[in-house]
Amino acid sequence: MNRQVENPIIEIHDLSVAYERKPVLWDVDLSLPEGQLIGIIGPNGAGKSTLLKAIMGLLPLNSGYIQINGKPLEEMRHKISYVPQRESVDWDFPTSVYEVVMMGRYGQLGLFKRPKKADKDIVMDSLRKVGMEEFKDRQISQLSGGQQQRVFLARALAQQADIYFMDEPFAGVDAATEKAIIKLLGEMSAQNKTVIVVHHDLQSVAKYFDWIILLNMRLVASGPINEAFTPELLQETYGGKLTLLTEISDLIQKHRFPNRE
Amino acid sequence: MWENALSFFDFDDANVIYVSLGTIILGAGAAVVGAFTFFRKKALIGDAIAHAILPGVCLAFILSGTKNYFLLITGAFFTGWLSIIAVDYIVKKSKIKEDTAIGLILSVFFGVGIMLLTYIQQSGNAAQTGLDSFLFGKAASMLVQDVIVFSVISIIVMIMIFLFYKELKLITYDKDFAQSVGLPVKWIEFLLSSLTVLAVVTGIQAVGVVLMAALLITPTAAAKYWSGSLSIILILAAAIGGFSGVSGAFISYIAPNMPTGPWVVMVLSAFAIISIMFAPRKGYISRLWQQLKNRRQIQDENILKAFHQIAESENSFDESKSIEKLREKRYYTIRLMKRILVRLKRNGYLKRSKEGYYLSDYGQRKAARLVKLHRLWELYLTEYLRIAPDHVHEDADTIEHLITPELEKKLEEKLGYPEVDPHNSKIPYD
Ligand SMILES: Nc1ncnc2c1ncn2[C@@H]1O[C@H](COP(=O)(O)OP(=O)(O)OP(=O)(O)O)[C@@H](O)[C@H]1O
Ligand SMILES: [Mg+2]
Repeated sequence: MNRQVENPIIEIHDLSVAYERKPVLWDVDLSLPEGQLIGIIGPNGAGKSTLLKAIMGLLPLNSGYIQINGKPLEEMRHKISYVPQRESVDWDFPTSVYEVVMMGRYGQLGLFKRPKKADKDIVMDSLRKVGMEEFKDRQISQLSGGQQQRVFLARALAQQADIYFMDEPFAGVDAATEKAIIKLLGEMSAQNKTVIVVHHDLQSVAKYFDWIILLNMRLVASGPINEAFTPELLQETYGGKLTLLTEISDLIQKHRFPNRE
Repeated sequence: MWENALSFFDFDDANVIYVSLGTIILGAGAAVVGAFTFFRKKALIGDAIAHAILPGVCLAFILSGTKNYFLLITGAFFTGWLSIIAVDYIVKKSKIKEDTAIGLILSVFFGVGIMLLTYIQQSGNAAQTGLDSFLFGKAASMLVQDVIVFSVISIIVMIMIFLFYKELKLITYDKDFAQSVGLPVKWIEFLLSSLTVLAVVTGIQAVGVVLMAALLITPTAAAKYWSGSLSIILILAAAIGGFSGVSGAFISYIAPNMPTGPWVVMVLSAFAIISIMFAPRKGYISRLWQQLKNRRQIQDENILKAFHQIAESENSFDESKSIEKLREKRYYTIRLMKRILVRLKRNGYLKRSKEGYYLSDYGQRKAARLVKLHRLWELYLTEYLRIAPDHVHEDADTIEHLITPELEKKLEEKLGYPEVDPHNSKIPYD
């Protein structure tokens, strides 16, 4: 099932992505409603991170296009925030919590500009919202996994965007942190912000999200939670039916076939 | 030789002043750019660029027949960039990993460079003087004119780093995020690569091609032991790079036949070793010291506990205990035991009498608290974690030294101030 919405905040049309010729996402069509908490679900290697990166313009597309609020990404960048997977950066990098969160302001600041008082206030405010105020001068190398995740979240909040893409914000955090984060995300969507989250724990999906996207190299389903979160669709997402697609992908890579004419 | 050394410090030779200042600037510039290659984990790229510059310089010399800076630097820039592009291309288009590709490119370019250099030397061109110092560096052979040109380049490099500090920092820490906020990542990476090439071109005046990578990387490797802030690390690295650079100039004055590069690298390595050993907190000595302190604390606390335990079983709280008696509880060697007792006495936990040692009031409270913590923790393990009572002693033996007063309070409250531990020993409260 793939429910289309009117006036979508995000529209993806026929999106295909490959790494070194190996296709990992096939013909994804999607439209997503504004102001909802949206979960992306799928097994390891399903292409969830890839989908986010493709939407953020971090990867070359094999085909397709993406529109944010009816406009191309470049015009909307300042309205969008991206939270990468926590392991994607080096936490030994010599910098403090405060400085990382300040990075959320760089997009608005522009080249050569130094942060102003307003930026500093926004950073402190974001730190407060995730409960990391006391840690602002802490080296990032001395944070626990959950604290690292909060710092990334604070950086996203500091961007003051309308749309948030988060890659596994609950990975490696304890139950209390997870609760605090989901509460925050709920508040954001109540302010009509759209929050799209890659999530792994099927137990909590129904409780957390308004809308889900089921993904496994292709789009299995996208729709309101009560329609898309069904045992049949989950079986289709997680079941081993897709080995054929994987095999074809490998063949394409091996034989250096063009994926598209 | 020593006259040379003295005349270096006289600074009455204008050339000495220029070269000293120049090498400081070159060293600092290379170190600052190198910090970013270091944290981007691209240390080897600097090495490739350094080696790839040689053919460019030689080619420019052969084509022009003179030592024209503009041409030499253009040549260096050209082959330096070519090596970066070649490495990227190989990594992208083949299954070869980056380090292998770098090794490949580095040796090919360097081989060609050496070939050209040999050709120049054999052609006996008088203007070649100075070209061969490209290999290992010879700071003292720099002319005033050289110094000015290279210092200006180096200063420009540092100004660019300062101007783009914010952006360089962001792409170094989190490139995907940088791109997602719309930073021109490709452009900034191009800028950084160009700055690296320029820093290498100027830096090889001081250390030569072969050891250039050390001037890029080592200052940061040393500096990061002293601070956790990128801006401070950059300043420290610049200072280390500058000092090492000028020390190279110094050696090439007092020993004119000695190439500068190896000397600069020796000084750099000394900085690195000193940092690894002696830096506060992160240094080896500091960590060793911390371990020693921990070990002593554990020994001291164990003996205090032994005092309490003996007194408890014999109901002899105010009496002195002999070393033999204590050793029945804790089997430390006599020498170690004596050292611990002396330490405890010095810190006011123990008092001495003819028969041995006894606890001061202060020591008595401390010993009772330790015993209490040990027993509370045992109780916590058995009640909350459901660990068998005969397994908990070892755990408690380490944990009791770590428990803070806040944790102590929580434990007491959680367990409801219990009377006895799982082995039915009384828990002492004050
Ligand atoms: N940089 C890369 N180069 C080559 N292949 C890649 C790269 N990144 C991901 N892949 C491949 O693309 C596929 C999809 O990866 P992706 O990271 O998007 O999965 P995911 O759904 O986010 O998985 P996970 O749950 O493990 O995070 C995987 O098969 C992976 O091996
Ligand atoms: Mg992922």
